[in-house]
Amino acid sequence: MGRRLVDLGIEYNFIVIFLAVVVIATTLSDNFLTFTNIANLFQQAAVVGVVAVGMTFVILTGNIDLSVGSIVALCGMLVAVLMSNGFDPFVAVAITVVAGTACGAAMGAISALAQVPSFIVTLAGLVSFRGVTYLMTDGVPVSGLPQGFAAIGSTMVPILPGFAISSMGLIFIGLCVVAGLVLRLTVFGEYVFATGGNPEAARLSGLPTRFIVTAVFAVSGFMAALGGILLTSRLRIGQPTAAQGLELDAIAAVVLGGTSLFGGRGGVLGTFFAVMLLQVLRNIFNLLGLGSFYQMTVTGIIIIAAILLNRFIDHRKGRG
Amino acid sequence: MSNDVLTVQNVSKTFLPTIIALESASLGVKAGEVHCLLGANGAGKSTLLKIIAGAFRPTEGRLVLEGRPVELRNPAEASRLGISMIYQELDLVPQLTVEQNLFLGHAPGKFGLINRKDRRKRASEALKRVGANFTPDVRVETLSVANQQLTAIARSLTMDAKIIIMDEPSASLNETELKSVFEVIRDLVKHGVAIVYVSHRLGELREIGDRVTVLRGGRTIGTYEIADTSDEALVTAIIGKERSLVERKERKPVTGEVALHVNRLRGAEGLDITGLEVRWGEVVGLTGLNGSGRTSFLKALFGAHHFEGEIMLDDERFHPRHSADAIRRGLGLVPENRKTEGLILHAPIYKNATLPSMRESWLTRHSFQKQRTIPVLKSLSTKYGKPEQAVVQLSGGNQQKVVLAKWIINGARVLLLDEPSRGLDIGAKADLYDLVDKLAEDGAAVIVASSELEELYAACDAIWVFHEGRNIGRYDPFVTDRDTILRATILGEHHV
Repeated sequence: MGRRLVDLGIEYNFIVIFLAVVVIATTLSDNFLTFTNIANLFQQAAVVGVVAVGMTFVILTGNIDLSVGSIVALCGMLVAVLMSNGFDPFVAVAITVVAGTACGAAMGAISALAQVPSFIVTLAGLVSFRGVTYLMTDGVPVSGLPQGFAAIGSTMVPILPGFAISSMGLIFIGLCVVAGLVLRLTVFGEYVFATGGNPEAARLSGLPTRFIVTAVFAVSGFMAALGGILLTSRLRIGQPTAAQGLELDAIAAVVLGGTSLFGGRGGVLGTFFAVMLLQVLRNIFNLLGLGSFYQMTVTGIIIIAAILLNRFIDHRKGRG
Repeated sequence: MSNDVLTVQNVSKTFLPTIIALESASLGVKAGEVHCLLGANGAGKSTLLKIIAGAFRPTEGRLVLEGRPVELRNPAEASRLGISMIYQELDLVPQLTVEQNLFLGHAPGKFGLINRKDRRKRASEALKRVGANFTPDVRVETLSVANQQLTAIARSLTMDAKIIIMDEPSASLNETELKSVFEVIRDLVKHGVAIVYVSHRLGELREIGDRVTVLRGGRTIGTYEIADTSDEALVTAIIGKERSLVERKERKPVTGEVALHVNRLRGAEGLDITGLEVRWGEVVGLTGLNGSGRTSFLKALFGAHHFEGEIMLDDERFHPRHSADAIRRGLGLVPENRKTEGLILHAPIYKNATLPSMRESWLTRHSFQKQRTIPVLKSLSTKYGKPEQAVVQLSGGNQQKVVLAKWIINGARVLLLDEPSRGLDIGAKADLYDLVDKLAEDGAAVIVASSELEELYAACDAIWVFHEGRNIGRYDPFVTDRDTILRATILGEHHV
């Protein structure tokens, strides 16, 4: 029994690390473990979190999506521009989601059909989509959005007496659950793992590997679109300079959560905890009044430490 | 003992937590001999080689090099002491030139500057010694596998190797190419170099080897003079009990209708196959030198390579554009390289085995998949722990059975096997061909491509010889002897 527990602890080491950081945070600051602060944590983690869930699909196939930050900004602006041109918020959101998904699918298809590394295709996407974002309004933010739209992200939903969490946080959690179920319970999920584990073997087993690669990028684009909508809803303004470098936060979270950059191994649960871990770190530094310079330094060190730990575990298990 | 250039004394190697790869293994190699190493899969050959080459450190025991005990901490130290290892997947950098590869890590020169003139001169000398007919300035990726093999040997020479370890050099060479490698080996041995040669093929060991050491279960079983030892005795030493080489079985005459009729198939690199037929219940072998088009043909049939032509399957037109098309029509391919093409090594056994048949539904049904996997693996007498185990933990023979299980579970009736016995030990090979026989008896149409004519001879109802992309002759192994077929594969001429 004790051995089993240790094995579980090693398998889900990101949860152990997360809990350790939470304990440290609680002792460092009395304000950490309060309902308000926890609700804040989810609210702040939501955008990166939603994007990181999409990124998990991409990385599981052994690919990478550098364009998500730009797609978040593009979609955040698109939804704002549509509404300020008189579109109904529902219609604007629907169009934006379709646009984001299409952007992702297009990059995935180019990468899969022309056999170009996704790194390059999405790097091009990163640059171009940001350009389009600026072109939309000549770089000017869009404000004066309808009240109802702001409610998408910031409605407080009571889930316990005295504890309410924002709709953004709930959307993030809900998407994690759905994504986890898709990966675990659907044949599509199985195909994602198989394609990442050995693309050639997957192809020769009759799997539509090109379609799968296209699809994971579509998922990533879809999630980035949702991220953009949530961001604009929270800021109540379409901001073309938003979400710069967000792709790196998302990738860091996915890898920190134990998903292999070579594909085929990992999952959404790890990504969820890693997103929250990074958010808790940011939160502690804020509560302690330490600036973002410390934050950045320590975040980098934590990522390296976690990766080394995973390498060590792989080595012990003989996965070299 | 004293004239041994290298002695391995009672070396053990344990991998945490419980795997014992070597248990008190010993080996003595004399200068100027070709010392062969034989053993089934998992006998500890590669572990022993890696210890000699400095890639692993022994848990117990020691190495004595020219009378002095040595401790090798890494491969660089081993090569400084004159031990050079040529891996099966030649560790050359394909994008660099031959001379860059020859002197990678020990280029002549000072302060990090390379003396290119000196390097060119010494590279030419080394290439001359191995009888290479290419210049030092060509890129390695443009060379044939045989010439790459020569480059690897030449590389050992530039390091003044006293001991050259060759791990299954013949696996990727055809017979003519192997001959020229053998000539180089003989020349090196004459100059006092010791060769440690690993191969599964007994005939080859007889041709090149002086002595042979047999490993089984991590222990040394014995060292024999090859000329004085019969095949049967060696095989007994390898597998521990009497078990004959793959034997020709009495096969019933094939009565099935024509399953697959390749009227014409033209593909890349001059592949041009005409009039090839397989009946239900028939096992058809494809033999030929490397590059004769066996693999390309099977991949084309399986929809993985583009082709033009006319093929009938069960009297209906068959032109797969993707592997998925071929799979839907009941084909299954056991590819040449099970690790890179056949399996997802870190995924569980049951997921590998059910990968092609998952398309039947939207949701995964893990317990259903296991239920389908277990009886098939059992019928293939696969040895494994749990179906959730990663397939990488199985031995080569059992991995191959998982690949086969994929297609059996998916209900494939036309099986294409590409070098199915590669890397398997003798027992596992016999097992595999028993299975092939059984599948054919149950009515499957089977095509087996292999460079081991002996195996095809034992297992097939008919053997097609491929030569430079064309099928030049169909032989009946009941009627034609082996040598005639062998002649045809080399010469490309059809004689009945």
